[in-house]
Amino acid sequence: MSRARVAVASLIVVAVVMASGCRGHRGGRRSARSPRADTLLSPAESAAAALNATRQPGALATVPAAPVELWTGPGKRPFEVATRTSEEDAGHARRFGSITLQTALRARPLGQYPCTSCHLGRKVVMAEKRIADAHQNVQPEHPKRTGALCSTCHAADNVELLALENGERVTLDETYRLCAQCHFAQVDAWADGAHGKRLDGWQGRRVVMVCPDCHDPHNPTVQPRIPFRAPRIERTRGHGK
Amino acid sequence: MSADRPPEMPESAADGTVLQKRVDRRLALKILAGGVAAGTQALGACSPLSAATDQEREVKLLAWQEYIKGNYRFMTDAERAETIARLERLAKLKRAEDVAIQSTGAQPGVVFGYAFNISKCKGYRRCVEACINENNLDRQAATQYIRIFEMEDGVIDLNEADATFQHEVPAEGHFYLGTQCFQCADPPCVKVCPVGATWQEPDGITVVDYDWCIGCRYCVAACPYWARRFNWSAPEVPVEEVNPNQHYLGNRARKVGVVEKCTFCIHRTRQGRLPACAEACPTGARVFGNLLDPDSEIRWVLANKRIFRLKEDLKTEPRFWYFTD
Repeated sequence: MSRARVAVASLIVVAVVMASGCRGHRGGRRSARSPRADTLLSPAESAAAALNATRQPGALATVPAAPVELWTGPGKRPFEVATRTSEEDAGHARRFGSITLQTALRARPLGQYPCTSCHLGRKVVMAEKRIADAHQNVQPEHPKRTGALCSTCHAADNVELLALENGERVTLDETYRLCAQCHFAQVDAWADGAHGKRLDGWQGRRVVMVCPDCHDPHNPTVQPRIPFRAPRIERTRGHGK
Repeated sequence: MSADRPPEMPESAADGTVLQKRVDRRLALKILAGGVAAGTQALGACSPLSAATDQEREVKLLAWQEYIKGNYRFMTDAERAETIARLERLAKLKRAEDVAIQSTGAQPGVVFGYAFNISKCKGYRRCVEACINENNLDRQAATQYIRIFEMEDGVIDLNEADATFQHEVPAEGHFYLGTQCFQCADPPCVKVCPVGATWQEPDGITVVDYDWCIGCRYCVAACPYWARRFNWSAPEVPVEEVNPNQHYLGNRARKVGVVEKCTFCIHRTRQGRLPACAEACPTGARVFGNLLDPDSEIRWVLANKRIFRLKEDLKTEPRFWYFTD
């Protein structure tokens, strides 16, 4: 009798401890304020990151994809967006990729993401000097050329979000909606498959890459590179040449 | 060689031989092979002077069986499985490679097409690199299926184009155009083959049976696009760089004296994946898909973009289009 009572009491204690532990972990200010890169990953994302770490450079992977709601592909078919895994090709552009996909894809520790690790509770001062200090990786060619300010694309009061011209706020998962405001021809071609890249093959689910996978949003022009080695035989021009 | 020929010889009892069974040349060779195998084994077993190891004897036997096999097109499924098992074993014994060779057939209702955006291509040659790795191309002779031409803006003249550029790209005032096998709907290379070693598959890919090719190179001469490559020496691929995912008609090990070509990565595309070149392209200049699917991306490009093909007047009907933004 007494043994059963002890067992019930200990169960209750365990349950209370577990519940408080969970609450503390989820709702604690501390974990939200200074999140570390590894704790940002969900189990599925960690698995994807581990998988991606084993892949060859240049390989593409099946990654969590999000459906596109505003555009349809050829034949009015819905499609999804995802991002590629190649360190070499995506490089710096990936840093500006989507929130969930980015964390899932990057094997190395995250750089300056999430923004709230610095910006939480502080006013964002959008001065050029400060940006150069804090965001040394940003080359603001695009704003320079177009006369845009940081706040043209970034929500000034919430640095994690992007601001559309109609006042709507979107996450970094929906960069294509931001780009589409000006680059409508490119986005139409992208939705129909003439611009951008498709992941996972030509058949089945259509998953495409998003704009920042190839274009650095702050410096979108494709930069010159040294090509892969030239062919050894120049060409054939018939006999004797 | 007619494509309608049945895989087995007809069983006509009327003109039967002494054995009451027609024995064609190939079957006779097979029977002989059994004898040779038995003989080789017997020789190896009873002769202490023979230095041949078990492995060498197995290689000899497999090589002989490979030598007398038929054309891939006329093999039964069982024969295809047998030859693939032999080739995989030979790869293991001779080159210590663990490869998996497919014989995946064409998907019904699929004809592959390719579109190449000359506004997007920047001449990085990442496609070339991916192709070499994917298709086990000869590293010694530096074989490349894909060629990227650098041309001055405003003129498309492949004679004046530079394919051997080696400077930072994209170069000012230039554009880039890539060529490879165009998988013509009416391929002149197939017509000239005297032995039927090359043919067009139902999904539009022109393939070569490397074990049936006699190396006459008529097809190389017949191709107006210079899409075929001849192995002047035995191809060399370091073991650690060999792509083990292979297809009998695609990227399996080739030998000296045979012709090979781009197969739109037959081992990938028949499983729904993109060709290696399309997957590697960092600019998204390459669009690949099923021409018979009206809702495919390639069909959208063909219907909505300004497109052209090379040497269209030759009426080879290439399934490879170029387009601009």
